[in-house]
Amino acid sequence: MDRMVNEFDDKPAFPLWFGALAALAMLVHLYLVFVWVPTEATMGIVQRIFYFHVPAATVQFTACFVGGIAAILYLVTRDNRYDDLSLAANETVVVFGAVNIAMGMMWAKPIWGIWWTWDARLTSSFLLLFLYAAYLVIRPAAPVEARGTICAVVCILGMADVPLVYMSNRLFRTQHPSPVMGGGQGSGLAPEMMKTLFFGMFAMLLLWWCVLSVRRRVARLERAAADLTRRAHELDDLRRD
Amino acid sequence: MENLSWLFWAYAAGWLLIFGYLFLIARKERGLRKKISELEETIEERWKRR
Repeated sequence: MDRMVNEFDDKPAFPLWFGALAALAMLVHLYLVFVWVPTEATMGIVQRIFYFHVPAATVQFTACFVGGIAAILYLVTRDNRYDDLSLAANETVVVFGAVNIAMGMMWAKPIWGIWWTWDARLTSSFLLLFLYAAYLVIRPAAPVEARGTICAVVCILGMADVPLVYMSNRLFRTQHPSPVMGGGQGSGLAPEMMKTLFFGMFAMLLLWWCVLSVRRRVARLERAAADLTRRAHELDDLRRD
Repeated sequence: MENLSWLFWAYAAGWLLIFGYLFLIARKERGLRKKISELEETIEERWKRR
């Protein structure tokens, strides 16, 4: 009998050096945020939430695209590896989306005086998170033979929603601030702030890749467990016959 | 240092969500590995008995 969990699954989900690099990058990022970058003049120290809030959104959008592209590849090739990648990416969309929204709320309360408002950016971000949470609920409930296809379609819809979220504070007047990059006249950041932000995005993407790799391996194990359960039932049926 | 507690709790929430998720998937992986080895043993037994 072939073993379902092959040697590949017993190896670490990502190379050790990559994990060390991600951890180091996150530590350097914390140093930049709490020690190196100057305090913003208007909002004060609480503005430092920005350096984690925006990278979390960057990771969320990247994960949407990775999940969406994997879903398209699954529909074209019917290769389960793409379905696993799509599932892993979509789950990280929910995690980093929740980080983004939670940190945004904790920034909004002391600055705006409210936790939440239903403006275009916040509402579209909430709907994006809700859509991916729905994906995770639909997946186990969908019939096994159509699961990959149904989930791929939901995932592609989610990916299509990302530009709308991104453009929402450009297209509509919102409580949420205008974009600091490419937001027109008066937008922009001090060089130190820009460097900290970009380094934060880089560090968070490294961390996300580690999380994604671990989740992808778990998705493979879930598939292996389902296959083995089916095989065990088939053998049981044969014995009864 | 006004609003320092907001900054602290915001970062704490961010890290808690990420590490909480990592903890959950690590636990799920352990459970799946155990289930797979049990299933492999079951299948091997049934295969021999067939």
